[in-house]
Amino acid sequence: MAYKVLLVDDDPDIRDVVTMLLEAKGYETVTACDGIECLAALRAEEPDLMIIDLLMPKMDGFAVLKELEDGRWSKYRHIPILILSSVREEASRRRYELETALEFNVDDYVEKPITPDILLERVQRLLNKSKKV
Amino acid sequence: MTTEAGGRTVPRERDRPGLTPEESALIVRIGVFVKMRWLAIAGVLIASLLATQVFDIRFSLVPIYIICAVMTLYNLLFLYQSRHLNAEARGWLPDTLVVPLRRLLTIPKATSPLIEKARATGNIHITVDLAALTVLLHYTGGIENPFIFYFVFHVILAGILLHYRVAYLIATWAILLVLLLVGLEYYEVIPHVHLEGFAAAGLHQQGSHILSVLIALSTCLYASAYMVTSISGELRKRQREVVTLQQKGLTEKTRELEEAGKELTKLEEGRQHLLRFLAIASHDLKAPLSAVQSYIQLMLGGFSGELTDKQRQMLDRSSTRITEQLELISDLLDISRIEGGQMVKEMEEVSLSQIVKDSVENVRAMAADKKVKLSIKMPASLPKVKASGARLKQVITNLLGNAVKFTPENGAVLFRVTEQNGNILTEVMDTGTGISADDLPKIFDDFYRGGNKEKTGTGLGLSIVRRVVEAHGGKVWAESPNPEDKKGRGSKFTFTLPHNLIIAGKKQNQRGRIRSQKT
Repeated sequence: MAYKVLLVDDDPDIRDVVTMLLEAKGYETVTACDGIECLAALRAEEPDLMIIDLLMPKMDGFAVLKELEDGRWSKYRHIPILILSSVREEASRRRYELETALEFNVDDYVEKPITPDILLERVQRLLNKSKKV
Repeated sequence: MTTEAGGRTVPRERDRPGLTPEESALIVRIGVFVKMRWLAIAGVLIASLLATQVFDIRFSLVPIYIICAVMTLYNLLFLYQSRHLNAEARGWLPDTLVVPLRRLLTIPKATSPLIEKARATGNIHITVDLAALTVLLHYTGGIENPFIFYFVFHVILAGILLHYRVAYLIATWAILLVLLLVGLEYYEVIPHVHLEGFAAAGLHQQGSHILSVLIALSTCLYASAYMVTSISGELRKRQREVVTLQQKGLTEKTRELEEAGKELTKLEEGRQHLLRFLAIASHDLKAPLSAVQSYIQLMLGGFSGELTDKQRQMLDRSSTRITEQLELISDLLDISRIEGGQMVKEMEEVSLSQIVKDSVENVRAMAADKKVKLSIKMPASLPKVKASGARLKQVITNLLGNAVKFTPENGAVLFRVTEQNGNILTEVMDTGTGISADDLPKIFDDFYRGGNKEKTGTGLGLSIVRRVVEAHGGKVWAESPNPEDKKGRGSKFTFTLPHNLIIAGKKQNQRGRIRSQKT
């Protein structure tokens, strides 16, 4: 059975690139443009991995992370989250912790621009880990 | 009250908290006068003894002793009163008495209840003293005694302590008491005590003598009242002016501080606004480049089909240029954040040893590729410092990166950290191409790339290094050729971190010393 990956990014070219990359490796992909669509897709599709961009209109990645901490989403807690963003990891961590006073709890962080090998390797690693669980 | 006291010291105003200068002066003076009364009592005794023993003036001493004893007793009471003079103590004179009396004399209510109380106390003291002096005079010759003029002291005291009209009142009381005494003795209602051997007998019934003394005394008392009250009034007016000025000054200062506070808030808001703007601007500038770069990487990875050599070459070049652009945008954002004081806000306790380890990791691969030997010399334990970990990592990575970049194959780069005079000294030395004397003073300038054939990089790397080090309070400089290089090659970059960044007593031991790399 192929892994299903939910990809969330407001940039259509990034969605295009990552989809191409993942599908070339045999993953099934579902896309969303912002936080709101992301949560809807999460419920509908129940992916094995989520790749989320941080800076998006309407509802950004930070808001999605905060929302997922809520009890309503507890059944999706096991799904690994990989952040794909042009913002430096440390800056994102600081901003999230400052704004929400919660821990920046993500499974991996990859900075844009995308190096295909690196992204694929990280995705693979996360999916293998969650399979073992 | 008689007094022998000569030079009197001006009462020093101990500033009690919450009291105006006028209030504290008043309270202190009452205390001083209580002390002077002791001297007066002593003076009376001494004068009487001198008079009877030395000057052979004969009069009975027994009443003197009795009066002195009474005076001692009431002065002790006055001492207790003066010590407990504070606003909380309730007055012993009921208001029903005081108010009509005050109205009668058209004396305005004092500026504070404490002054009211102090003045009432002073009033009592002076009135009692008037009575004491009168009785003393009776037993020491009445009109014969030149000390009859000592009533002037009561008037002066009243002028200093109390409202000015009261001074005149005291003067009038004194005259009335003297009249009473002299009158009673004249008409032989009470017996006259004669100073034998001093004054002529029957002086107390000599009309001309009595009249002259009375006139002299009256004029003396009223004139003194006038002089003292005018001076005292002046003084009090000045004291009140001082207080008003002080308060005005205070209000001014408070207003200025509020204004300054508002300015600061505005500035801070402006800064926050700018930072938000910069964050959005940088994201918007980077996003398209990220997308383009991602596509190019995908193409170079073969995900869009086979590429010809020429296509590959062009895509490589494009990718390189885009990477440079992205780095430039990052650098610009860094600089604006440093200049905007954002970095200072982010400073926290960090481990120097960890930062060094991480930075070295960043360049290890590049050094290995070029077969450059990378050696690290660090003390076994480095203290923890209050700094921006990410920025220091940036600085060290940049300096090491440059060192490796400008050192040819099989060269060497030495990284050394030492503690000197409490400051932390970091040195990066290489055996590379060095920096020309022309370039050396300009390398830390913005966008300066120098005359080097390798024109890669944004030209902002060293200027960011400079900014970060200076924001931490340190200094950075370069020397070329490296003074420690035996063959006169390469360059040496040094930066300092001042001792005030070091968090005392928090040295961290290095686990696993970083060994020198040789490939």
